[in-house]
Amino acid sequence: MGRMITHRLLSPVSAMAAVALVALGLGVQGCSGSGEESASSFDASSYPDRDITMVVPFGAGGGSDILSRTIASVIQELDLVPVEIVIENRTGGSGAIGYDYVAKQAGNPYMLASLSVSFFTTPLLGASPVNYADFTPIAAIAMSPYIMAVRAGSPIQSIDDIKAATRLTTGTTGVASDAALLANMLQNQSGVTIDAVPFDGEGEIMAGMLGGHLDFIFGNPVEILPNIQAGTLRAIAVSTGERLQTLPDVPTLKELGFDIEHAQVRGVLMPLGMPPEVVAYWEDILRQVAMSDAWQRAYLDRFKEEPRFAEAEEFAQIIEGTDALYSDILTELGLIQQ
Amino acid sequence: MLDAFALLGDGIWQATAPELLAATLIGVVIGLIVGALPGLGPTAGVAIMLPVAVGFGGTAAIAALAGIYYGAMFGGAVTSILLGIPGDAPSVMTVIDGHALAKQGQAGRALGMSVYASFLGGVIGLVLLVALAAPVARAALAFGPTEMTALMCFALSFVTVLGGRNLMKGFTALFIGVWLGMIGLDPIVGPARYTFGFIELFQGVDFPIVAVGLFGLSEMFLSLSRRVGALAERPSLRSLLPNLPDLIKSWWVLLWSSVVGFFVGVLPGLGGTAATMLTYAMAKKSSRNPSEFGTGAIQGVAAPEAANNSASYGSMIPLFTLGIPGSATTAVLFGGLLMIGLQPGPRLFVDNADFVWTIFGTFWIGNLMLVVLTALLIPFLARIVFVSTAVLYPIVFALVIFGVYSINYSMGDVTIALIAGVVGYIMLKLDYAPVPLVLGLVLGPLVERGMRRTLILSEGDLSVFTERPIALTFLLMTVAVIVVPLIVTRMRPVGPPSI
Repeated sequence: MGRMITHRLLSPVSAMAAVALVALGLGVQGCSGSGEESASSFDASSYPDRDITMVVPFGAGGGSDILSRTIASVIQELDLVPVEIVIENRTGGSGAIGYDYVAKQAGNPYMLASLSVSFFTTPLLGASPVNYADFTPIAAIAMSPYIMAVRAGSPIQSIDDIKAATRLTTGTTGVASDAALLANMLQNQSGVTIDAVPFDGEGEIMAGMLGGHLDFIFGNPVEILPNIQAGTLRAIAVSTGERLQTLPDVPTLKELGFDIEHAQVRGVLMPLGMPPEVVAYWEDILRQVAMSDAWQRAYLDRFKEEPRFAEAEEFAQIIEGTDALYSDILTELGLIQQ
Repeated sequence: MLDAFALLGDGIWQATAPELLAATLIGVVIGLIVGALPGLGPTAGVAIMLPVAVGFGGTAAIAALAGIYYGAMFGGAVTSILLGIPGDAPSVMTVIDGHALAKQGQAGRALGMSVYASFLGGVIGLVLLVALAAPVARAALAFGPTEMTALMCFALSFVTVLGGRNLMKGFTALFIGVWLGMIGLDPIVGPARYTFGFIELFQGVDFPIVAVGLFGLSEMFLSLSRRVGALAERPSLRSLLPNLPDLIKSWWVLLWSSVVGFFVGVLPGLGGTAATMLTYAMAKKSSRNPSEFGTGAIQGVAAPEAANNSASYGSMIPLFTLGIPGSATTAVLFGGLLMIGLQPGPRLFVDNADFVWTIFGTFWIGNLMLVVLTALLIPFLARIVFVSTAVLYPIVFALVIFGVYSINYSMGDVTIALIAGVVGYIMLKLDYAPVPLVLGLVLGPLVERGMRRTLILSEGDLSVFTERPIALTFLLMTVAVIVVPLIVTRMRPVGPPSI
């Protein structure tokens, strides 16, 4: 289902009719009204005067989807925009289909999308017709750190045990992921051979970790922290520049002497050809979202992510830097021919 | 364990709250629909409904979403039996004998068995879920890549049973399936394989889409070369009704298919489809009448339907006890848990025991709803096979194309389904069984990934397969499946092979 409004609380009974309609209309693509818009005829005083579409290039329930829906619901809750924000899931091709759709809407100021790891890796692997240069970065709004953890019963107690090892294994979702990137940096800087085994999903990696089939894991707090609280995993280090509020006793990789600082930055993009007023408009809205209690409560607390706001200019640099990191590791793995 | 059942009793009581009953009903009805629509399966159904269901809030949201998941297991069988088109991936094996029965005018009997099997599979899966959730979850963790690979080899060895009359043709189809499974980006090192430059193929060919073409469209194409018409007989009341003696005749198959389905479902990364293939093959292997399979054996419906239902509950175990989503569908449920503000992980069972037991309660109620709903619908649905194919097939064809398109909104998928349909047509004409092909397509990637992960972990050392007891057991069973029939045939040259 293409079109879905996020923020209304429906009682099951009253939703019955809606659900029946949804079921009948399965597959009927969201016929959002937003057509082509030329930037030249842009009138800032009346913007925005119709509903905004926020495209999620992945299925419902994933990280990118939850991020977009939470941004939309906080905006509506704080009443920051006079129109509705409609979430549209356009899935397929590891994000290629959704991002391509957004990029093709150059000049349409009613079209938003969110950043993801596939936003970088899919084009680099040659599997997408568009890449980061086809988008206008708007703002970064949060960041998800990576926690390096081992099983509770693991002989590895600290980073010294990691450095002393000759070979270690870890997991990655697919060939190119943040976990693979971090493992690669750690390998290059520590001299320890680290084999990152590609799995099909985070769940499989966690199962391999808890079952003792892998030595350590680089994971997002939302999956690692519950295991640390339950005593099934132990944290060794975090990938951010500073320690995490949730794990004040766990050192950063930087403190431990590695030149590694990498987190998954969450942010919002628009197609190319945006008038400066539009960029400023959304920058300001997203700043208000990022600073709000509602955002802290509905997103950061719930998904254990860190606050991180960056304006369009800084965000553009982050995107370029991240793309370069991925480009390097994919070249090193032989997946990009130069 | 008695404690668990006391908690469950409480959970079922909580689940009878009107709001939860409504949410469960919505879930199972939508599940039936997405299951029955060719192409759309439980994963797509749960993902599509997630944003709406989250609006129900808390427990009701998860009750509805889980209802879609296990409801689809009931729904998939309907299309498989009546039209010969798998409604979703876990009901592919149901097509083989279910549709054969329907073509003989026994659609009611086949549908009846699918309902019994789904219900019993559900009940057994639920009993195991309640009684063994925590120990089973811990045991599942012992299955690393090595063990998974060995288990999948065991499943693949059954191709000797399912390959049809001609062993050569069976293996040819198997290898075509394995090859199809290799299309797309290499899952371990990344480069594209056999994509011929089409970006659409980078993600590989989707199993449900191929299955829809191979089983469903092929038969429609074949009917073009035949005289159109309906089944000669008129529908007798008997042919529209479930047959109770079948249940008694198949109780043994139902029982262990449910148990096997449950345990395969628990293992992260394997899933219900692999479970149905394993149990179908085991049912055929252990049957006194193996030649009946493929031509309308009632146990051929019982085994996969029991397995896919119990597997759906089995796959909830890693999610609720460890916070590990082991399949695409449970990954969406994981997102759902987060969106309603719960923290999936090892402490969910402890910190939110009320929630978990209420959800398990809704599973029982949902399962009851499904059995009543489907049992009532059988006499009406079973009539479909008496509709002239000249009327039925154009409608079904449109539905299939619609269903396939709606998975990813992709015309590329529709093209793949059509090509699979032509391939299936050619296979039918040349007397190649399609089953080994789907076996290869589903199990091939699992074996490949498992094998390559194992070898990365062991640094290329194959001896891990014999050093690890679970892996060794499965490999020995694999050898037994292949070797024992050969020895038996040698010793007793006349008569069918049996174990």
